Parts: sequence; structure tokens; C-alpha cells
Amino acid sequence: MDSEPGDFVVGALMAVFGLIGLFLAARAADDEMYVFGLGLVVFAGVFILGLIKRHYDRLDAARAMLRVRSDV
Amino acid sequence: MSGAALEHHLGPAPIYNDAVVKKFVIAAIFWAIVAFLVGVWIATELAWPAANLGLSWINFGRLRPVHTSAAIFAFGGSALFGTSFFVVQRTCRARLWGGEALANFVFWGYQFFIVMAALSYVMGFSQSKEYAEPEWHIDLWLTVVWVCYLLIFVGTLIKRQEPHIYVANWFYLAFIVTVAMLHIVNNLAMPISPYAAKSYSVYAGVQDALVQWWYGHNAVGFFLTAGFLGMMYYFIPKAAGRPVYSYRLSIVHFWTLIFLYIWAGPHHLHWTALPDWTQTLGMAFSIMLWMPSWGGMINGIMTLSGAWDKLRTDPGLRFSVTAVGFYGMSTFEGPVMSVRDVNALSHYTDWTIGHVHSGALGWVAFIVFGALYYLVPVLWHRQRLYSTKLVAWHYWIATLGIVLYIVSMWVAGIMQGLMWRAYDQYGFLQYSFVESVVAVHPFYVIRLLGGVFFLTGGLIMVYNFYRTITSPTTELPQAIPLVPVTSPAGALGVPGE
Repeated sequence: MDSEPGDFVVGALMAVFGLIGLFLAARAADDEMYVFGLGLVVFAGVFILGLIKRHYDRLDAARAMLRVRSDV
Repeated sequence: MSGAALEHHLGPAPIYNDAVVKKFVIAAIFWAIVAFLVGVWIATELAWPAANLGLSWINFGRLRPVHTSAAIFAFGGSALFGTSFFVVQRTCRARLWGGEALANFVFWGYQFFIVMAALSYVMGFSQSKEYAEPEWHIDLWLTVVWVCYLLIFVGTLIKRQEPHIYVANWFYLAFIVTVAMLHIVNNLAMPISPYAAKSYSVYAGVQDALVQWWYGHNAVGFFLTAGFLGMMYYFIPKAAGRPVYSYRLSIVHFWTLIFLYIWAGPHHLHWTALPDWTQTLGMAFSIMLWMPSWGGMINGIMTLSGAWDKLRTDPGLRFSVTAVGFYGMSTFEGPVMSVRDVNALSHYTDWTIGHVHSGALGWVAFIVFGALYYLVPVLWHRQRLYSTKLVAWHYWIATLGIVLYIVSMWVAGIMQGLMWRAYDQYGFLQYSFVESVVAVHPFYVIRLLGGVFFLTGGLIMVYNFYRTITSPTTELPQAIPLVPVTSPAGALGVPGE
């Protein structure tokens, strides 16, 4: 199964949030903004990794399904 | 319409996105324990202030918003997100709009909001607005998540395969739309720098107070009431196997509640610089709220007509029905406290704390427990709960905890109010403030005990859910297919799963 269109939209949105997080952490004027900025970077990075993992999980599942059908 | 007939008429039910519902259910259970635990801790600090251990980040002022946010937004919010996604899919016979990634973003984005808000509180950052403590950057993040939530919910409604929108969805939609409006308007602020957490509200003086309590009261009205009424209108009919007592009453309930609640906020500002007419307006609308609130309560309870026996055999349903009873009780007490002369006695005292907890524990937590006891076996494809006896233990321990909590706070609050207004024959105050603090100490200890009972009940629930999901005794027999079952509730009931 191919990726859903929503994956790309959400992935792009996450990339933007990650960048914003980097800027906030880099120029933070207080501890709170530093923690929030770094948190946003980590959140966005992990979320994008999750999107990639789910994409390949779906491909694996589709391949496994095809293999079962060809065996039958 | 029977399940087979419905399937023939509309085609097979789509594959629902239950993965995100499961995540929200797990989050709600986790945050429930966190909220109860922090509540017990700060109750200990109130009874014995040395329990803050001299550490600034766990003093009462910082942990109190952690407790309220964990209870309202983390526990209540996760339960609302999860159940609304469960209900809207089944009542619309449509998979969630926007795909898996967007739903996952709403889940993880909301959890990120909760964690960031809690961290900011313990670090000492706050807007000093009750129930709206997070600073501007966290507010902006929540707005993004909330808009995505709205898009998913409305998108699913638009692509529904059912001809009408079931009433539970009306309540959920009112909750989502109104909370968005309240959140944005109340949190309008000017940051001192784009890279600093500190900001200043765009409102000042009494306008600031009015906007805050317009937000604060409607957070109660739309977050803690409308959303959970959506839960009531779906899960009580499902658990009871009966249609809603009066669908027409549910529609009247909806529109009157929505119209009246939004005006009631000024009753939080009695005897302040707010103009008298505004205070009276808030009071009048609060009293009018009796009618829709009790109409809804009657509708919820009477849905059990013909199925009262289930209260003996289904302790999960007992939670839901008791919740509706507490809803009736706290929506009776609220308007009483909104009367200006009653408020002169009750305001700033622990009576308010008792009132809030009869709603938060008795209504909100109990209606969620009822929904969770229904949902967990369904979502994890289990035949039944691991132990109904443990559900009964949870029910009675939690109920006893609430009774201890609210009775002690009533007594403490009324005593405080009377001590603060007592004069001697020379016109001097009869009691110093510290004397009122000493007087309420025993009741603070009783309140703490009530909280411990409620937490214990929550831990029993967690154990029961863990065993329900993992125990071989609750597995479905192999002969039963793992497909959604259609409701026998009929045209006026809840559309089938």
C-alpha cells in the first residue's frame, strides 16, 4: 500500500515545527523556551521517524500478503 | 433496523481507526492516576505544609495547576478525544477523516502539550489565569493540535454514511468549537520577545477578569459538561441496550445548554469591580441553567427504563448512572452558589473546592470510568472484563472517597465563610485569618483521606484493565468472528457499531 497523502502533509508540517523548535532553542531567552524548543525538535524528529517506519511496515505487510497469495 | 438489514442497506461497516482510540484510552488511564496522585500530594501539603520539602518546584502554587491540568486536560481531554473518535466513526459509519498520520499527530501533539504545560508550571512559568496557565507558545501549539482535531471530527461528519448526525456528536462538536473559541480569545497576549516565555494579556483590569471567567466558566460548561454529555448520550444507551429516553429532549437539552452556558461566567466575579448589572446577568443565566441541566439528567437516567436490573449486574453502567446523579447534584449546587448573597458566604472558601470536586470526581471521572469499562473489552477484543467484582470495589471505594471529600469541604467552607464575616460587639473581626486555618485542619485531613480512597479505586481499575487485556480467561472464543457488531438499539438508538 502506498503512503496516504496525509503522511506527506503531516511530515512537512513536522519539519517546519522542528525548524521552529531549533530557532527557539538556539535563541531562547529563558529556560522554559529552551526546553520547549528542544522538546519540539525531538517531537518532530521522532514523529517523522515514526512516519517513515509506518510507511515501510505497510510495504512489508503488502509484500507478505502477495507472498501468501502466490503460495496459495 | 437489525444489524444484517443495516449492513444490506448501507454496505459493510468501514475499518475504523481504533488504534488512535486505544492510545487515547491508555493516555486517559495514565493521566488519571497522575492527576489523582498529584491531588493527594497537594492535599497533603495543605494539611502539612512541610510536605513541600522546601523544594520550589513541588510547592503548592506550582503543583496545583499540574493537578488541575492533569485532571481536566490530560485525563478528561484524552478521554474526550478518544471517545469522540470512537463515537463519531460508529455513528457516522465512516473511518476518521485525514488518515492515520493526522490522527496520530493529534494524539502525540496533545500529549506533548500536556507534558510541556506541566514542565512549565513546575519551572515557575504561568500566565496566572486559572485553567489557562500555559504561556503563549504552548497556547499556540495547542491551537494547532485543536484545529487538526476539529478538521478530523468535521471531516468525518461530512463523509458520514448515516443520514442524520447522532446527538452525541452535536455535544462533542459544541465542545470542540467552543473550546477553540474560548482558548483563542482568553489567551490573546503579547510576548515580551519571540524567544521568551513571558507574555502580557491584551486585556487589563476588570475586562481581563471578565474574559478570564467567561473562559473559566465555559471551560466547565463546554469542556467538562458538553463533551462528557456526548459520552453520556452514547455509552449509557449502549451499555443499557436501550435507546435514549427522549431524543427530542436531548435536542432541547443541547440547544438550551449551549445558549445559556455562555452567559453565566460573571457569577465568578460577584462583589468585585464588575458592574452590578453584569453580575446579575451571570446570576440569572446560571439559575436558568437548572432547566437544561436537569432535563439532561432526567434523559440520561430514564434511558435505563426497562433495564434497571442491569445496575445490579453491570458495575460499569452503575458508574455512568451515578455520574449522571452527580451531574444533577452539582448543577443544582452551582446555580445556588451563583446567587449573589449565597456567594458572599461561599466565595474564596473551600465550599467552592467541594463543589468543583463533586463535578470533577462524581460527574467527569465517573462518566469516564463507565465509558472505559465499556470500551476496553471492545477495543482489545476481549469477551468481558477480567473482574466485575473489582469494578464494584472501585465503585464503592471511589464513591466513599467522594463523600469524604465533598462533605469535609462543605463543612470547612461554610465554617470559613462564617468565621471570616463574624464581628464582635465592638465591630472588630471576631477571628483572625490564621484561626480559620487552624479550624479547617481536621477537614483537610479528611479531604486527603477521600483523595487516597479515590486514588486507590483508580489503581484497582488499572489492575483490572491490565488483567482484562492480558489474561487468557477474557479471550474471545475462536468461533466468534472479530468484526464489529451492529446495535439492536433501533432508529432512535445509537447507530450501530
